[in-house]
Amino acid sequence: MRLVAVDALAARAGLTVDQNLSDAKALVPNLEAREIDPGFLAHRFAEFADWHSYASPIVSVLADQAPWGDLCLDITGVAHLFGGEDKLLETVKGRLAALGLTVMGAIAPSIGAAWGLAHFDQDRVLGEDEVDEALGPLPVAALRLSEAQVAGLSQMGLKRVGQLYGRDRKALSARFGASLITRLDQALGHVEERLVPRLPLAERFAERRFAEPLGLIDDVLMTAQDLAIQLALRLEAEGLGAQSFHLFLYRVDHKVMRLSVNAARATRDAGHIARLFANRAERLVAEYDPGFGIDMIRLAATSVSDLASAQIGAFETADGAADLDQLYDRMTSRLGPLAVVRSKFVNTHIPERAVKLEPVVARTPDDPAAAPDGRLQRPLRLLPAPEPISVTAEVPDGPPAGMTWRRVGYRFVKASGPERIGAEWWQPDNELAVPAPPQLPEAPLSSRDEEVAGPAGFAAGGPVPSRDYYIAEDDGGRRFWLFRDGLYGDGAAPRWFLHGFFA
Amino acid sequence: MPGRRHEVVASLRAKIARIEQRPMLSEGAALSQRQEPAGLFSIPGGVLHEVFTDERRNGGAALGFALAQARGLIGPERPAVLFVQLRREAQDMGLPYGVGLRSFGLDPDALVLTRVESIVEFLWAIEEAVSCRAVAAVVADIAKAPGALDFTASRRLSLRAQAAGTSVFLTRYGVEREASAARLRWRVAPGPSGAVAFDARAPGGPRWRVELEKGRLPAERAGTEFLLDWSENGFVVVDSSSTDKASARPERAPSPRAVPAALGDRLPQAG
Repeated sequence: MRLVAVDALAARAGLTVDQNLSDAKALVPNLEAREIDPGFLAHRFAEFADWHSYASPIVSVLADQAPWGDLCLDITGVAHLFGGEDKLLETVKGRLAALGLTVMGAIAPSIGAAWGLAHFDQDRVLGEDEVDEALGPLPVAALRLSEAQVAGLSQMGLKRVGQLYGRDRKALSARFGASLITRLDQALGHVEERLVPRLPLAERFAERRFAEPLGLIDDVLMTAQDLAIQLALRLEAEGLGAQSFHLFLYRVDHKVMRLSVNAARATRDAGHIARLFANRAERLVAEYDPGFGIDMIRLAATSVSDLASAQIGAFETADGAADLDQLYDRMTSRLGPLAVVRSKFVNTHIPERAVKLEPVVARTPDDPAAAPDGRLQRPLRLLPAPEPISVTAEVPDGPPAGMTWRRVGYRFVKASGPERIGAEWWQPDNELAVPAPPQLPEAPLSSRDEEVAGPAGFAAGGPVPSRDYYIAEDDGGRRFWLFRDGLYGDGAAPRWFLHGFFA
Repeated sequence: MPGRRHEVVASLRAKIARIEQRPMLSEGAALSQRQEPAGLFSIPGGVLHEVFTDERRNGGAALGFALAQARGLIGPERPAVLFVQLRREAQDMGLPYGVGLRSFGLDPDALVLTRVESIVEFLWAIEEAVSCRAVAAVVADIAKAPGALDFTASRRLSLRAQAAGTSVFLTRYGVEREASAARLRWRVAPGPSGAVAFDARAPGGPRWRVELEKGRLPAERAGTEFLLDWSENGFVVVDSSSTDKASARPERAPSPRAVPAALGDRLPQAG
């Protein structure tokens, strides 16, 4: 058991990282040691890291060196908002120190240099051409090398980074591995290294900070409306529209909440965006937890695309398509992604698969070969899962004369059929099995219902080669679409199912 | 000139009808601007209809009647019809089927299904859809009478429908009626279908026995009970004198030996 981290008090007592636990306990008798849970720490650290996006949009956790990672922010173009890079470093460190954390930080043009400085020579702010001389006196461990490499280098007497400058690169890479050269180049800025941001990278955003933290969702939505107007102006100036909008709520206790909405087509209409967020918030009211308050809100737009101003004018004409899209956006944001659906035809003759319900906001192009034949007689309402019924019919392929469905008997006066629908032998999984009913909670039935009970539980059948469909009309004029699953004389008696209702 | 005066009177009547929001006293055909032939059921948009049917197993007939009326309201400026249903009732009542819509005569692209979790979302979805001016009609299917659908809710829907010009068809089931602000209330039952050429035993097209319980139709026509047939051109009123008879052919019980399907295209064998 080794020590992974020691605090300042322990360091003063002579404990170091990687020391044996028993040695440490010998040094300090009343030592408090806790077992590290790397997963939990990494997760908390990552959440914490998300909160740092208040300072810069690109925040990442470098997980290769420390057990839970090092926090790395790309502050290109952001420093002026804090009054300069020095002030930025001070602010970030100050906020963290106010929480009681020990922070070491540095700013440098490259990730490698910043890491090295933060660990070994902290509080430096380097300009573009100060890197070489700043890195020189640092120990080689500042280059994010593996233990073996560090041990090997110190054995050769190369203890400082400055000693590596100007050495024969081929020899070094042959002896210590190519990663040494890569790390050196990354630290000096000769090789590009990029951060992978944790939160979606927002190219355009509008944000607002509050002196007093907010709590109520109504205030949040009002701010979202103002921010939407700002963002819309910005998008208009660049001639762009966006399809995804994200609202980040930065809490005082260093957590970030995220609310995302999608639009069916690129938009920069501030009213529409604000309404989408209002609808989404209504749906998430139970999960909304502002903690001790929200002190910054940022509205970001991703998936931007060109949206010429001429098109906005066209929406005002009689063409209702844009109005419809906005309606579907609003309904989807309140009711959920799979709530507003349209029928998409699939090129198959198996009835329950011939129509697929897909969300209107995520339309896919129609397959022209799948368009239905208007001559086919199909029911107006289809049951998602066919219900088993018991039918009296003449044996080989006579139409049904009567049925019992949901414990009520019906007598048929007219019937036509059979229409035989066989399995699709050209598909690899050749199954015509009857689908099982969707798992829904049973709704309580009132005692005044006409049908005595709803559908009882039943299991899906095994694969059978064909179905014979009949249209049957009872003495009340109701027309049903029934089918017989399989043929008589095949072994087990085939079962009958009710599949749909005609108008 | 008498002709001019007649025109003037007609236009004044139309104006008054619009102001009063009531159907005109004279033929309503002049008021409708749709491509469908102006018939008995050319009811303008913006009206809340309640379509009742006695039993839930008549769901197909009720939906068919509602969609048939909604089809007449679809136009280039109002291309969509929305269908709203509670998700848990889909297995009980069935969902509108795209291929079936095509054979019924409605373009399946025009119908958008909305499946909601609760009655609150149900009412919200209807209101939201009604306020959009690109929606021709909203067909809302509710199997069990919810407490939330009271007079206030229906009045609200009715006002919104009027303001936006979008019709709402609420298909409901059961024999109980409660106070509602719907302008028209229908009671629909399926009717035994007419004969089909070349196959005497095959069920025919959709046919409904419709009774108008509340409200008045634009056309001046006596009677509130109809037997309606459905064709590509819309409703066809079968002569009302034969509403007590099912169809031109006498109703027959199926023969004890049912006719095999192979002979289905010939005249019936049984006497």
